[in-house]
Amino acid sequence: MNKKNVRTKKPLSPVIIVIYVFLALLAVLYLAPLLWMLSVSLKDNPDLMAAPFALPAALHWNNYQEAWELGRLGAALFNSVFVCGVTLIVSLFFGAMAAFAIARMRWKLSEATQTFFLIGMMVPVHCILIPLFVRFAHLGLTNSRFGLMLPYITFSLPMTIFLMTGFFKSIPAELFESAAIDGCGIYRCFFEIALPLARTGFFVSGLMTFINNWNELLLAMVFISDPARKTLPVTLTYFVGPYATNYVQMFAAIIIAIAPTVVVYCLFSNQIVEGLTTGAVKG
Amino acid sequence: MDKILRNKKAIFIFIAPALLMFVVILVIPMFQMIYYSFCDYAALTPPKFVGWKNYQQLFFKDSTFQIAIKNSMFFMIFSAVTQQIMGLLLAVFLTNIPKGRNVFKNIYYLPCVLSSAALGLLWAFMFNPRIGINQLLAKFGIEGPLWLMDSKGFIVLPMWVIAFVALWQYVGQNMMLYMAQITGISRDVYEASYIDGASKAKAFRYITLPLVKPMMITSLSLNCIGSLKFFDLVYNMTQGGPNHRTEVLATELYAEGFNYFKYGYASAISVILLVLCLIVTLLVKKVIKVETYEG
Amino acid sequence: MKKKLLSAVLAAAMVASTMFASVPVQAEGEVEEITWMFWDDLQATEDLVSLGYADVIDRFNTEYEGQYHVTPITTNLEEYDGKLNALIAAGQTPDVYICNPGPNMDVYVEAGAAMDLTDIMNNEEADWYATFTDGIFDSLTYDGKIMGVPTCFAAACVYYNTKMFDEVGVEVPTTYDELLDVCQKLQDAGYTPISCSAGTAWCLSMIAGYLCDRQGADLDAIAAHEANWTDDVFVQAATKLQELSQYFQPTAAGDSNDQATAAFYNQEAAMLVQGSWAIGQMNGANEEIEDICGVFQFPAIEGANDPNRMIVKTDNLLVSSTTEHKDAAIALLKMFTDETAQKYMAEVGGKFPIIKDVDIDYEVAPKQLSYVQDIMSQATGNFGFYNESLDSVEAGDCFDNAMVDVFLGNKTPEEACQAVQDFYEANVWK
Repeated sequence: MNKKNVRTKKPLSPVIIVIYVFLALLAVLYLAPLLWMLSVSLKDNPDLMAAPFALPAALHWNNYQEAWELGRLGAALFNSVFVCGVTLIVSLFFGAMAAFAIARMRWKLSEATQTFFLIGMMVPVHCILIPLFVRFAHLGLTNSRFGLMLPYITFSLPMTIFLMTGFFKSIPAELFESAAIDGCGIYRCFFEIALPLARTGFFVSGLMTFINNWNELLLAMVFISDPARKTLPVTLTYFVGPYATNYVQMFAAIIIAIAPTVVVYCLFSNQIVEGLTTGAVKG
Repeated sequence: MDKILRNKKAIFIFIAPALLMFVVILVIPMFQMIYYSFCDYAALTPPKFVGWKNYQQLFFKDSTFQIAIKNSMFFMIFSAVTQQIMGLLLAVFLTNIPKGRNVFKNIYYLPCVLSSAALGLLWAFMFNPRIGINQLLAKFGIEGPLWLMDSKGFIVLPMWVIAFVALWQYVGQNMMLYMAQITGISRDVYEASYIDGASKAKAFRYITLPLVKPMMITSLSLNCIGSLKFFDLVYNMTQGGPNHRTEVLATELYAEGFNYFKYGYASAISVILLVLCLIVTLLVKKVIKVETYEG
Repeated sequence: MKKKLLSAVLAAAMVASTMFASVPVQAEGEVEEITWMFWDDLQATEDLVSLGYADVIDRFNTEYEGQYHVTPITTNLEEYDGKLNALIAAGQTPDVYICNPGPNMDVYVEAGAAMDLTDIMNNEEADWYATFTDGIFDSLTYDGKIMGVPTCFAAACVYYNTKMFDEVGVEVPTTYDELLDVCQKLQDAGYTPISCSAGTAWCLSMIAGYLCDRQGADLDAIAAHEANWTDDVFVQAATKLQELSQYFQPTAAGDSNDQATAAFYNQEAAMLVQGSWAIGQMNGANEEIEDICGVFQFPAIEGANDPNRMIVKTDNLLVSSTTEHKDAAIALLKMFTDETAQKYMAEVGGKFPIIKDVDIDYEVAPKQLSYVQDIMSQATGNFGFYNESLDSVEAGDCFDNAMVDVFLGNKTPEEACQAVQDFYEANVWK
């Protein structure tokens, strides 16, 4: 703590200033397109075509209301949260279990098993789409949220296992050894040592899993037919028609769709960084 | 300790749920896909076994496939290099600035949370000649190129544009991975090195780099696989056009399978994609050797 | 610890089972439930034709309440084929689904996913069949069997800004040479003569299609390999496309379909070659355009083909060959083709009725529609969009791409025609 204070009181070195300028310019490159999207979402279509980069002539807040109603975004938001939430929890849990066995336990096939799971990351979804859909249709799993969760969980597993294996491997072996001497079983080692210490891993892989599934379009589009069970990315495509695209409402819908993720991400990440640093010091 | 870690039943319990889902939902359809790649299969009519015909066609007759391979390779190399360098650089910068670390990190990571479909549309707008960057350039008297339609050169301009947008969107991911690793390096290690008279650059070379090496494998493999499978931005920015010049493997696979109903042919492309991913992952592992500190 | 694990597994299983249970039971009582698949969302769309279809669905569900009920399955256009294929492969073919004519429809007919309607049309529902315009079933008939029912059709013409034409002092061109002359004068006066989109390849291809046909191209001969893509007609047509393209707006290479249409209705460009569906979109976006928008037939190429042939395109509904609710499906098709629906198509949607004796109120309908109608009454023949008239979807794309390459200057007309020829030699004429 003391050291940190000393540091911040020091005048900024030129290098740091250059870095700040660089970072700030980069931030502009990141924010400008997104702000533009916000500005478009408040225009009307002819205005967009005539002067896309100008600020909106009049603020069409009703774009949001219409997008919300026409796109049935309320139901879609619920479905997305539900499907992605369950997927997140289940895939992190299953993934962490498998990763723990691969990273920490001693058996001949552990390396091979990891490679096996890794292959999953390389399979293009497009190509297994039809066999998968046919199989699910026979099982009566299409057009249900559960049917969508199953492939989502499965496709999230390789990434989770891949990342978690790395994090479990970086936990010092002595921790488990001393726990074992204290009489800890393997399950307690997993739940009480490995899981809490791999918080960073959970955060990183959880974030990736959640975001991937949150934005996933193809499976959701093909699997779900009932409008009441559609997820957000599917509803965003509603605004693209065969001959005319309703740009402004689409952008409004996109803003609505990304807002929760952005807010949750910003809130969540600050706490996590804190936990991450303390966790690292402990480790 | 050793006995606990060799507990067969525990291993089974840990592995079983993931393995079961994996086999049923991913591996079986994958084998079906491999089988279809040897078939003449139009998605709606039953598959007919034709041997290596699809592969022969792909490698010797299909000029679009050659473009797709070329573009995918370019895209992978470009992404791997730029994203690793930028990601690591940003992570180092952010861990070294006294204030605003979270703000900048959140900003840079933001596009990663957004759907590539939406961003693809957004950037297609930006590079649209009528309304985009070219209008800005025109104010300075520069006539901007046709960003998404230019079709000259070995790697066409639209591919560079897409690669840039992909860098913009995904560099945050690498930055996060590296940051997690760097903040994990105990501050004491750095303090000790400064006391010993090491400069910041030296500390980076001799402490940071070796310690982020394991993460490098992770993020490089993710990068390479991700860019080989890359689909969303291309599909939303150019749809592989003009005249297939920006086609990558995944978009060609999609077009063959879903636009032209050549399902067997599309399966053959995915098998090639799969094999490429495997080779690349193995290469990454071979090239970057790490000593794990396992006990 | 084991207990904890077990309880977690049990909890997961419980979640799973409630999910299963929440799948609603569909059929209820006597009501026959059918599905209809369409490529646009019915609520969020701005597309006037889609809104008309939404209205048909509502009317159907009201009129047949307690007897039939239809549920729309919608996707966006791009994912439509993928989803439809998946449903068909899984044996869940929607009872009624929309389909483009040409190679796209061929796929579903050949796969046996479409019901043969010949018997129904000729016998059971002969009265209904008699209401349709003559010849409208031609593109939907395979080996003498009627495989689908049209719901409307659109025609492609040239829209022009009468104000600009008057100002520059030019007349409506009737020949290609006059068209070039008009373009030159408009350009000299500082206007963009033609608005076109090469970003959306079919827009450019529509002009190319007209040029090919005016030049005298015969697609049947191509299909039978009695003619070649390297023949003079195609090279000539491609050369004319190149010539004409110098009068496009400077950003035509990257503009999308929407933008090209916008350039016309925002009065930046004097002419636009588009399907009649664009009428509603234009008038909706800029009210002024209705009074100053004229329409003319794509000009003739002197000494070549009949200049009164028009590009038309029907929207078609196919019935699943495996449907268990044939009567409900037919009732739905009838609803799509009844006078109310057809009147809407014409008066609002900018598409034309496929049944005879529709009383279109031209006071209500957009003015451009009656101009198109006039041109159509003079038409001596129809042909489809080129990308929907070739031997496969891929062949259509190959043609579109070749034309885009000519426009971009990547290929000479000869090279572009050779590219299509090569494709045909490798894939079609075997």
